[in-house]
Amino acid sequence: MIRLPGKRKETAVPADTGGRESEELIRLENLVKIYDTGALRVLGLNKINLTIRRGEFVAIMGHSGSGKSTLMNILGCLDRPTLGQYYLEGQDVAGLKPDELSAIRNRKIGFVFQSFNLISRMSVEKNVEVPMTYARVKPAERKRRALRLLEQVGLLSRVSHEPNELSGGQRQRVAIARALANDPPLLLADEPTGNLDSQASVEIMELFARLHESGVTVVVVTHEDNIAAYTHRIITFQDGRILSDRQNEHPTPVSSQQGLLHRLT
Amino acid sequence: MLIENMKMALAALRANKLRSFLTMLGIIIGIGSVIAITSIGDTMRRMFADIYKDIGVTQGYLYIGYWVEDVRDSDYFTMEELETYKELFPGELAYVDAGASLSGTVETKLQKKKFNFTGIDYNYIDVQPVTVKYGRYLRESDVLARKPNCVMEASAAKELYGTENAVGRTFRIDVYGTMTEFNVVGVYEKEMSAFQRLMMGSNSGTGEALIPWTLLTWPNDSIYQCHYFADPSMDEQQLKDFNQRFQAYVAGTKGRNPEDFYLVSAQSEMGQVDTMLGGISAAVGGIAAISLLVGGIGIMNIMLVSVTERTREIGTRKALGATTGDIMIQFLTESAVLSAVGGIIGVTLATALVSAGGAAFSLPVVIRPSVVLLAVGFSALVGIFFGIYPARKAADRDPIIALRYE
Repeated sequence: MIRLPGKRKETAVPADTGGRESEELIRLENLVKIYDTGALRVLGLNKINLTIRRGEFVAIMGHSGSGKSTLMNILGCLDRPTLGQYYLEGQDVAGLKPDELSAIRNRKIGFVFQSFNLISRMSVEKNVEVPMTYARVKPAERKRRALRLLEQVGLLSRVSHEPNELSGGQRQRVAIARALANDPPLLLADEPTGNLDSQASVEIMELFARLHESGVTVVVVTHEDNIAAYTHRIITFQDGRILSDRQNEHPTPVSSQQGLLHRLT
Repeated sequence: MLIENMKMALAALRANKLRSFLTMLGIIIGIGSVIAITSIGDTMRRMFADIYKDIGVTQGYLYIGYWVEDVRDSDYFTMEELETYKELFPGELAYVDAGASLSGTVETKLQKKKFNFTGIDYNYIDVQPVTVKYGRYLRESDVLARKPNCVMEASAAKELYGTENAVGRTFRIDVYGTMTEFNVVGVYEKEMSAFQRLMMGSNSGTGEALIPWTLLTWPNDSIYQCHYFADPSMDEQQLKDFNQRFQAYVAGTKGRNPEDFYLVSAQSEMGQVDTMLGGISAAVGGIAAISLLVGGIGIMNIMLVSVTERTREIGTRKALGATTGDIMIQFLTESAVLSAVGGIIGVTLATALVSAGGAAFSLPVVIRPSVVLLAVGFSALVGIFFGIYPARKAADRDPIIALRYE
């Protein structure tokens, strides 16, 4: 369990980015998404240009219909843009076939969903192993890595439980461990606190903050200001365009709890 | 990966026990009936094979066809003719006699018992082995001199004389109108298979004894039929070939066409039994095929339900990197496991049922492992075949829509 300490320290642990911060992870060039519903054509994204560097902690905000979910699906390689380029680690993934996109999702993207999407009737540990199974990692290695990740999210005592035996916050932590299974460069969270109470929300956001501190690139889609406040860069969408893109100079500080996540990756 | 998928499939099966069982019912019945019928067929085939082995598979009877109207004296056999056949087919024709037997009632102070006396040559023991327990078997001299000597079966001897050692006892019976006194010169015991003992059960009232065939050549040594054994070491084809050649030769010496002589061989009788059993198997096989088809459709139906229920899981797996093929294989494994488990249950039930039936009749039941393996393999194949459509449907799901599915 990650417990909230009584008092918070104002200074966060400096991020160990190993000098990779300037490196581009995501670059979108004139990205357009048009939904063709037969009679009606809807412009989902309108010429988006966006760069996200390695090690950034980004919030994507906007109301429903603003295009943030569309962007999320494209960033996650679940959907393909109608026009434009999407470079992920320098590779243009806009034109890949479905099974090639599966491989990209498997190796390069860690998904965290609003409703956790853990697979029922499978133990916590097996759930964390799923992405490694599709990466054809050997069983012994899968188990070793799954246990290490579960230790890092503080759930080593729950490895053989099934998802329905866990609380919402615990489930989301399992999902985060699963998202990190193949050590992806990008962690993509879609409303990760949408189904959680406020205390669990804080736990999860602090977990993301620590992951960011350890060098993981985290992109969180949210419509809540207090969630976005944890991030260092906030991009707001409206009508399929970027309305604003600003640095958050004073992110919500994180309790400096040691022993958890001090050595990820 | 495959083991992973199989574990998952078994977990899914356990999670919905009743639903899984009902789904498997068609497969259970189909595979169960295939195993049961094959086993019953195999058991019967073995039973008949054993009986014919006891009787002698190479045995045959040859006589002028009952449909021939202008029967001549020469259509019958003489003793000399039968002797010459043996010389003409050395190494092939192992034994010849007139195929005659006599029934009569033997009376002693103790008992009155019906007997069947089989007329044999001295070397009958070579083609129908028995163990001589007391005294001796018939000798060539007994046969040539037409001596009224007799070798009696042990249990009949015991019933008749109160002791199995009946050597030296005498009895009188009517041989074609002449009361003849016979000497018991030996007592034999015959080993019988479980099947034959079962078949003989009702027939045990009649005693068995062997006498020289030369006593039963009435009238005028004119013999109606030639009873023979081909060499027991012959294989099926050699035997078939010999039977045909022998029939043609005998018919030829009597100025007849081969088809004018009627040949009753153990081999062709066995073939008829096989044909009959094959017919039954084919009919039941058809029923089983329909049952498997229905079972397969049941599996397809439940897999479609499962795919819909687990839409979100499919979406999640795709988001986590599962390819179309990964999802296909997962669901195909599940339907194959479902069906194969049904097959295994069917095999188990059928085996238990057939074994119980066999135990009730004290018959050793034949269950071929190859048939069991084939049945389970086939049920898995049914599962794969009927799983293709649902698995395809699952694999083609768009991950975005699947993830949003409630």
